[in-house]
Amino acid sequence: MDESRSTYKKIVHSGYFKYYRKKTLWFLATLVAAVILNFVLPRLMPGDPLAAIMARLAPGIQDTEALRRIYEHYMVQFGLDRPVIQQFFIYVGNLFRGDLGLSFSRFPRPVSEIIMSAMPWTIGLQLPAIIVGWFIGNILGAIAAYSRNGFDRVLMPTALFVSGIPAFGMAIILLTVFGLNLGWFPIAGGYGIHLLPHLSWQFIGSIIYHYHLPFMSIVLIAIGGQALGMRSMSIYELNADYVRYSRFMGIKDRTIVRYIFRNAMLPQVTGLALSIGTMMGGALVAEIIFGYPGLGTTLLRAIREGDYPLISGITLVITIMVLIAVFLLEIIYGLIDPRVKAAQFE
Amino acid sequence: MRNQFRQLIRSGKFMTGFIIFNALVLLTIFYPIFNPGNPLAMIGFDSFIPPGTYFSLYDSVNPNIHVYTLRIPGADEARIQSLLPMDEREAMGEWLIREGVPKEQINIEDFTGLLELWFAHYNPDIRIDGMTIADRRFYQRLNAKVEGIFDIVDIHLYTYNNETEEYEFQAAISSEDYIRLRDVVNIVRLPLGTDNFGMDMMRKLVSAIGTSLLIGLIAGSIATVIGLILGLVAGYVGGIIDEIIMFFSNLFTVIPGFVLLILISYSIGQAGRSVTVIGIVIGLTAWVWTTRSVRSQVLSLRHRDHVSLSKLSGHSMPRIIIKDILPYIASYVVMAFILQISTAILAEAGLSMLGLGPRTTDVATLGLMMNWAMVYSAHLTGAWWAYYPVLLVIALISFSLNLMNTGLDQVFNPQLRN
Amino acid sequence: MNKTILEVNGLSTKYITRFREDVYAVRNVSFKVEEGHSLGIAGESGCGKSTLALSLMGYYFAPLHYISGDIIINGKNISGLKPDQVRKNVLGTEIAYIPQAAMNALNPTRKVIRFIEDVMYAHGSKMSKKEIYDLARERFEILNLPADTLHKFSVELSGGMKQRTVIAISTILSPKVLIADEPSSALDVSSQKMVIKMLHDLMDLGFIKAMLFITHELPLLYNVTDDIMVMYAGQIVEKGSKDQMIFDPIHPYSKGLMGSILVPEDGTRNIKLTAIPGTPPNLKNPPTGCSFAERCKYATSRCKVYDVEYTELEGGRGSRCLKPEHELRGLYDDGKVDFSNE
Repeated sequence: MDESRSTYKKIVHSGYFKYYRKKTLWFLATLVAAVILNFVLPRLMPGDPLAAIMARLAPGIQDTEALRRIYEHYMVQFGLDRPVIQQFFIYVGNLFRGDLGLSFSRFPRPVSEIIMSAMPWTIGLQLPAIIVGWFIGNILGAIAAYSRNGFDRVLMPTALFVSGIPAFGMAIILLTVFGLNLGWFPIAGGYGIHLLPHLSWQFIGSIIYHYHLPFMSIVLIAIGGQALGMRSMSIYELNADYVRYSRFMGIKDRTIVRYIFRNAMLPQVTGLALSIGTMMGGALVAEIIFGYPGLGTTLLRAIREGDYPLISGITLVITIMVLIAVFLLEIIYGLIDPRVKAAQFE
Repeated sequence: MRNQFRQLIRSGKFMTGFIIFNALVLLTIFYPIFNPGNPLAMIGFDSFIPPGTYFSLYDSVNPNIHVYTLRIPGADEARIQSLLPMDEREAMGEWLIREGVPKEQINIEDFTGLLELWFAHYNPDIRIDGMTIADRRFYQRLNAKVEGIFDIVDIHLYTYNNETEEYEFQAAISSEDYIRLRDVVNIVRLPLGTDNFGMDMMRKLVSAIGTSLLIGLIAGSIATVIGLILGLVAGYVGGIIDEIIMFFSNLFTVIPGFVLLILISYSIGQAGRSVTVIGIVIGLTAWVWTTRSVRSQVLSLRHRDHVSLSKLSGHSMPRIIIKDILPYIASYVVMAFILQISTAILAEAGLSMLGLGPRTTDVATLGLMMNWAMVYSAHLTGAWWAYYPVLLVIALISFSLNLMNTGLDQVFNPQLRN
Repeated sequence: MNKTILEVNGLSTKYITRFREDVYAVRNVSFKVEEGHSLGIAGESGCGKSTLALSLMGYYFAPLHYISGDIIINGKNISGLKPDQVRKNVLGTEIAYIPQAAMNALNPTRKVIRFIEDVMYAHGSKMSKKEIYDLARERFEILNLPADTLHKFSVELSGGMKQRTVIAISTILSPKVLIADEPSSALDVSSQKMVIKMLHDLMDLGFIKAMLFITHELPLLYNVTDDIMVMYAGQIVEKGSKDQMIFDPIHPYSKGLMGSILVPEDGTRNIKLTAIPGTPPNLKNPPTGCSFAERCKYATSRCKVYDVEYTELEGGRGSRCLKPEHELRGLYDDGKVDFSNE
């Protein structure tokens, strides 16, 4: 009994536990805030939101009967005739059931279903691309910082220029050069148009073939930004006292490079957590250029068709995806940086 | 301070960025002066007219223009060659190969060689396997064209007389007639062609640079002012106010700004989205970084001797902030401001790509230009002039601002110096 | 006569700044340290004492560059060696360094023992990790450092502990010469004491043969070292035993420097503390003549023109002044130099 108590105490008071508890609480807090914002922002606009939405929507739908049905559905689902606080709880309740409402433009398909079919494409495209870009960028940045010669003179301005190009711009460049002019890769879609999604080698092959250009455009942008960050972090580390001390202790250059790389990479994990939202935003727009069947393209269609529930659902899902990514990165950071554990003892 | 200014001028990065940025700004100022006109005027009836100099065909046959006779060696050959475009030559080559002429002998670049082969082998009566009747007809027409290609005849101009309802002969134009280009009254230069609306791309691009910079400036100013005030208050006052401000700034660091932008822009609606509104909205979602950086600077300054001294001397808080703190964080604020401008321009581009940018009918922005080029599939139809220059300008603005920022950083943040 | 452990002959080094300007930070420095002795180096900040410490390692990297001179450790001249030879055969084994900012001297993400392993293997050690651990633990225990320090990260150690750990690591290979650059100036008094005691222990136990101790705190030098050397503008100004230097400096600059400290046993209240007016010369263009002439009360026009050599005096001391010793002594009427009345 006593022993288990002390083990419990040990865990609760250990640095890691405190760190993770703090991060988990923060994750939940941001989640709540994101849901509130998603609920509040559209309602801050003057006038009856539903009427405004319907007015914008109306030209697209000729069938007045359908329009009336949609209107009634939303009145009931969102309880728009009730006080705002009550509306919020209805909204949250629906969220818990995974109910994001019904799409306007594809009525009566549920928004959640549309999002679920697009989400794997976006995650499958962005997650590997951002990770690969992050790694390559870090390696290039470290080499540039350490070599400080010809390579750095080329890489630094190139990275600065590339990181200034929006992701959709990179997508257009790759599409016109490698898709249209050289004809190496297909220019649109997530898979061949003649294929129906099903599990077969042919289909998977087609997915991979279509994957190249969108993937490359996100990777290139990520490399640019990450290389710059890693370069200045590495220069900072290069001038750190411990580097000079290690040199004077006769440590080999290769070992020192390893120290620097590792230590400069840690803030890069945090840096990725801070920039992943922006990166994902850029990548979503890049999807549009390729007509990639992910959330970005779906979002564009929803905006064009005035499909408010779909827009709102997609933004919420994107936010949650970013929050989860940030949370995971912080968990990883806690595992790899010994300072985190020590800092919690203070 | 003067020393740092001197270092800035010596910093290659800063100066390169500064020069590129100012070149773009000067372009927006001077181009409209030398080429006045409404950038949104729809001059072209076709979409995506390629770049070039255009002169009026109608004015070029004006009888008042003096016609000179010039005998230019090679002019006829060039003319004849231009009459037989590459795709037709390829078709000829294909026929010859099917007929059994060895592939190595055929060179469609070699005009005369190709014609010799053609005249030697072509026979309309030969039936080639797999060739449809339509194909045979095509080759017969092509042959007729090739045979007639050397007959250079005058072009006769007639005008239609409404009264007599007859065509009246006006002039014959020989292949040796030339007019001076300057004598043609209407000449239009379209250095970047036109876009899908038929608007002069160059003029529109220049105006769009101005508008996008304005959006950047509005957004950057708003974000910087909010960020500066919140950062100063959080850092200087501290305590619960600091915690509240930090909670919100941490919150908006993880909640992606573009999601807020999408939601707000959509809620405002197309009618409400003017350039100013878009600038304000972007500014309202971008203050987080400035707040964080100002706060951390203020925190480290707060306990410096000169600030403590000022406090002990009983100076008021605004005075301490303005006299003892602001000068020390000015460089960081300027750097943040520069970054804000470039992020705002990129944000506008992203929003416009989603169809949530400023109203198209009012102004041109870089983002809107990209958006329309994509909507009209300029990238698929080969109309590179409709989007590559815009993309280049976006990248250059962002590149130059980032360069300036890096230069500033190296001067004011000594740890990055080598 | 004891054996000479460290001999420096005419060492000059420079910094090359970002704008390609040369800063001559160490200029023609020569001195000797004998076995069992410790030498203190004093001077204002920017006088080149820290740069001298870096230059003595014989291992140069940007922005510091070697110009000329010899560094002879235990009879072996290391200035002619290739950088990699210096790294492997000199650093840590012949000469070791304790940095000014020991607070950040340890890699924040590497445990102390891992770093010690890196040090051992960098010098071609064939020992197993277990053997290294045993060796390190033994050494730590002799030096009164808890053995569990080895399994800690730098952030988990207090300031004093960090500094002592760094000292223990620096001397793990029993180097002949230890250079300590302000090892205790950032610490509280009790940690300072422990650091000083540790340095004494290292000498007494024979882990190091000679020590250079750099500080701007002169009273500390008196407690730690046998001899003191004063530096100004990258040159040695005066050298002597600690008693000579503290109680009977002869060079006007040393005199002024010593005048700026409080000696507690010396009826403090009646003594006016003095400061030397002016600033040291810009070492991008070192002045001709005596470097101190601009600030020296006793300087004549000759001082500003003629180069002054470092002159050996009796009993191992020496000074760099144009005036001979007896003349200098005659200048200080009440035994103290006073720059403040100017």
